[in-house]
Amino acid sequence: MLKQQRPQWPWHGLLALIGLGVVAALWYATSVVHYEWRWNRVPQYFAYEAEQVERAGDAGRVEAIVAEGERSRVTVRKDDGQTYALTVATRSLKVGERDEVGEGDVVGANYAWKAGPLAWGVWVTIWISFVAGALGLVIGLVTGLCRISRNPTLRGIAVGYIELIRGTPLLVQIFIFYFFIGTVLDLSREVAGVAALALFTGAYVAEIVRAGIQSVPRGQSEAARSLGMGAAQTMRWIVLPQAFKRTLPPLAGQFISLVKDSSLVSVIAITDLTKAGREVITATFATFEIWFTVALLYLLITSALSQLVFWMERRFARSD
Amino acid sequence: MIEVRDLSKVFEARGHTVRAVDGVSVAIARGEVVVVIGPSGSGKSTFLRCLNGLEDFDAGHIVVDGMDLADPNTDIDAVRREVGMVFQHFNLFPHMTVLDNVCLAQRIVRGRGKADAEARARALLEKVGIAQKAGEYPSRLSGGQQQRVAIARALAMDPKVMLFDEPTSALDPEMVGEVLDVMKALAREGMTMVCVTHEMGFAREVAGRVLFMDAGRVLEDAAPAAFFASPREPRARTFLSQVL
Repeated sequence: MLKQQRPQWPWHGLLALIGLGVVAALWYATSVVHYEWRWNRVPQYFAYEAEQVERAGDAGRVEAIVAEGERSRVTVRKDDGQTYALTVATRSLKVGERDEVGEGDVVGANYAWKAGPLAWGVWVTIWISFVAGALGLVIGLVTGLCRISRNPTLRGIAVGYIELIRGTPLLVQIFIFYFFIGTVLDLSREVAGVAALALFTGAYVAEIVRAGIQSVPRGQSEAARSLGMGAAQTMRWIVLPQAFKRTLPPLAGQFISLVKDSSLVSVIAITDLTKAGREVITATFATFEIWFTVALLYLLITSALSQLVFWMERRFARSD
Repeated sequence: MIEVRDLSKVFEARGHTVRAVDGVSVAIARGEVVVVIGPSGSGKSTFLRCLNGLEDFDAGHIVVDGMDLADPNTDIDAVRREVGMVFQHFNLFPHMTVLDNVCLAQRIVRGRGKADAEARARALLEKVGIAQKAGEYPSRLSGGQQQRVAIARALAMDPKVMLFDEPTSALDPEMVGEVLDVMKALAREGMTMVCVTHEMGFAREVAGRVLFMDAGRVLEDAAPAAFFASPREPRARTFLSQVL
């Protein structure tokens, strides 16, 4: 068949039209339920300017106010002749020179930017996913090697563990970890949550590792062994590097799943992104905005992860 | 150098037993070049792979450089260090450059330093005529070039014996010559070699002995001139009439 060049722009146009349609449908849906959007309430939950009020310690008279950049130094002479000083933000000054101040009167305030609950939630989600992912990778590697071992005990343990984890819901595993194992071993909720996620990920990584190892042609390990390399050396230098390259895409998928699944630890009161979102909603009633924001934040984390893996794949493609 | 006594290997395949190697006894002296020929399925590759323990066997003894492979206390890695092997499909490590392919085992098995290993590797790559490709990955090389790298990789371990398992069977015809030339040079230097091959010209020119195998047995063990001129066995005659 002769190669034909058909114009693509009508299809791009259709795609844009569908996108617009989705947006319009969303807008219509919210107008039907009379939802009032308050996006302006969202940013303060990422970062806010905390106010620390400064009060006069003892009664007296303001002797001098010296501006030091954006802050001012207020010197107060007490009735007994001694002086003390307070430093507050200039814009918050509540007193002038020669004013009388009583004990506990507000002199001014200091301001500092602080991370809000959503920013903390992102951080908690990232570190929990990272630690659970790293542990899961180690557990999965060991289990995957046990899974293909010739030793029936190791193989049995690996198969039992994988089946147990893959056959039960993660939510139930988190509850068991927190309420049963966590109670018996006196674990904190973070340790229980991370451990449950790590064991869950490990079981899936084990199967990926097993498939990866078995996908490396037999000839590779035969060549390595025929050079006098031992079984462990062959695994370390020949099989695993090639298996890793092949398993990178499914491993990436597993870690992306892990980031999303980590939202389940909010049920044992770990303030991850999901729980932070719920808390902010309780304070603002901006339900739609916050859930959309939370979804977007998860999307940012997972797409950053995808980009990282994409970059690694290109690096490994050098030898293709 | 290699002494094989009553070697047998049995496969269980679909209910019936296949005697892949059936009571083979052969002695190969230092510096000898032995070519193993025979129809496909005759057990010649299985026999060769038994010699460095890539296949386990059911009965008999293989003594390589004084180490008996039938003895469970024999360190198989120690045997393999002294026995180089070249495969039909090259089996280069695709994730490493040519130079690293040749250096890796020298460093982690022989414990040579980086500079030593690289010097040895470059000398061998020069010898097989492929020094300019040292920094390339194997996928950039032709089949003949890959096989020459594989030979260099095996030689880098300074083996006492080299095993060749149909080294030219997977090559395009125009690349067979360059690999055979390297093997011929190796034979002239006095390397002990066991080659499973279909290259009758190579057997005639280089081999000290020809083993003809069929159905797991060595039917003929003769000098190439005698074997090719007048094979004693009818099956060998049939085989030669088909391949020549």
